[in-house]
Amino acid sequence: MSLTPMALRSVLRTPTGLRPLLLQAPRALYHSYEHAQPPPYREAESAILSSAFTYVPTHGFTQEALTLGAKDAGYLDISTNLFPKGAFELVKYHLTTQRLGLKDRIQFPDGQMGVGRKVRSLVLERLRANADTGVINRWQEALALMSLAENIPASLRELSALSDEIWFLSGDISVDTSWYTKRASLSAIYAATEVYQTTDKSTDFKDTEQFLDRRLEELRVMGGAVGNTLEWVGFQGGALVNLLRSKGVRI
Amino acid sequence: MAFLLPRTTALPSLPLKARLTPLAFQLQTRTRNANSNAHRTLISSAASPATEPEPESLHTPQPTRRQPLSAAQKLYLDKALRVNQAGELAATLIYTAQTPPLTKAHPHLRPLMQHMYDQEAGHFKTFNALLAKHRIRPTAMYPLWQAAATVLGWTTGAMGREAAMACTEAVETEIGEHYNGQVRELLAWMADMERKGEEVGEELRLLVGEMRRIRDEELEHLDHAVQNDAKAANPYELLTGVIRTGCRGAIWVSEKV
Repeated sequence: MSLTPMALRSVLRTPTGLRPLLLQAPRALYHSYEHAQPPPYREAESAILSSAFTYVPTHGFTQEALTLGAKDAGYLDISTNLFPKGAFELVKYHLTTQRLGLKDRIQFPDGQMGVGRKVRSLVLERLRANADTGVINRWQEALALMSLAENIPASLRELSALSDEIWFLSGDISVDTSWYTKRASLSAIYAATEVYQTTDKSTDFKDTEQFLDRRLEELRVMGGAVGNTLEWVGFQGGALVNLLRSKGVRI
Repeated sequence: MAFLLPRTTALPSLPLKARLTPLAFQLQTRTRNANSNAHRTLISSAASPATEPEPESLHTPQPTRRQPLSAAQKLYLDKALRVNQAGELAATLIYTAQTPPLTKAHPHLRPLMQHMYDQEAGHFKTFNALLAKHRIRPTAMYPLWQAAATVLGWTTGAMGREAAMACTEAVETEIGEHYNGQVRELLAWMADMERKGEEVGEELRLLVGEMRRIRDEELEHLDHAVQNDAKAANPYELLTGVIRTGCRGAIWVSEKV
């Protein structure tokens, strides 16, 4: 990211600990279809993290897994300094790669499914990725790491990026206030379902699937109630204005 | 030292109370040269569309662009398209709210209002589609702009034909200059890409074409408003000044949230 001299000066004036806040690339940028998005990790980072990730089922989301991964990828132990957040970088690696991989894991036949059903299968597909990569038994550790105060902003950003990705892939095109409410409610449902998944002992995560269906049904009922109420209020308001106009009031 | 104090010395002898009256505001607005655009990201431009650069790539289909746009360019498009959608949302609602009181008093304005509304609705649809396509977040102030635009449209509509047209004039001036600035910025990118020998890409070419078309239609609304005695509104400077300041404020906010 290139900085103008003015921006650079304000960066240098801030205390060292706060600089990353200013240097963060802004999110939700213009998405182009003509050229590929840049990969989220550089080559060395990607090599270390992916080989470290194979140690997660045995060693958990720990610094140890990261060190072993760096050794496997042919780097020195010290190269884990690339990741100042340590074990949390492993969690973030999983979240990022699975979010970006979601579009390749699932394809929808044209015009067969509604947006709601697509969202459901995308959420399930994303949850299945936790099981497929073999980290589901260690995922409670990851949730614990994500809930540490210093990691909360990054975790929330990742959660909202995931929910944005799911709505985008499901073909939702609303760009009004519901853009926000949809993403917020899906984030809440996804987070709850993921916590449930870590304790799920049923075959093929049947219970998780039912849990998700109950949450989505609640959302549908509640969203419908709110939508109907607003529509009713709007209709009454419009009728009142028209009534007054018909009586000759100049409004 | 003298050059540091032009603003404070502009009205030296008037007491503060007199400087804050609507009349003083009108006089100041009449004389002020509104050129202080430097601190804004989305710079507006009052220059004539005829003086725009015309890169060759604008009129011929382009091969796919391989080089990603720079982060600053993406951020610019992100902000610009979000602001434009908010602006068109407000425009459709202003016309919707203005039309009933206005056409009741002046039935001959019905086709004009319908024509302007239809064009604005078309613009709004275009920007909705662009936002969804390019995954740009709509402004978080959406409900606030809805309410503000409805109130503005209804108030000026109820104030009469001249006030309604002055509102249209103020809004379209601000919006037109705003689109003008964006078109110039994008054309400058295209010229720069051509000079470097990069592909411009169909996405950018079509986007500029759309924005130019929309800009021209907005300026056409401005002409309609002026033809319908917008300048006869009373108090003209105060009304247009407040609306234009409000527009600029809304643009500034929508860029950010």
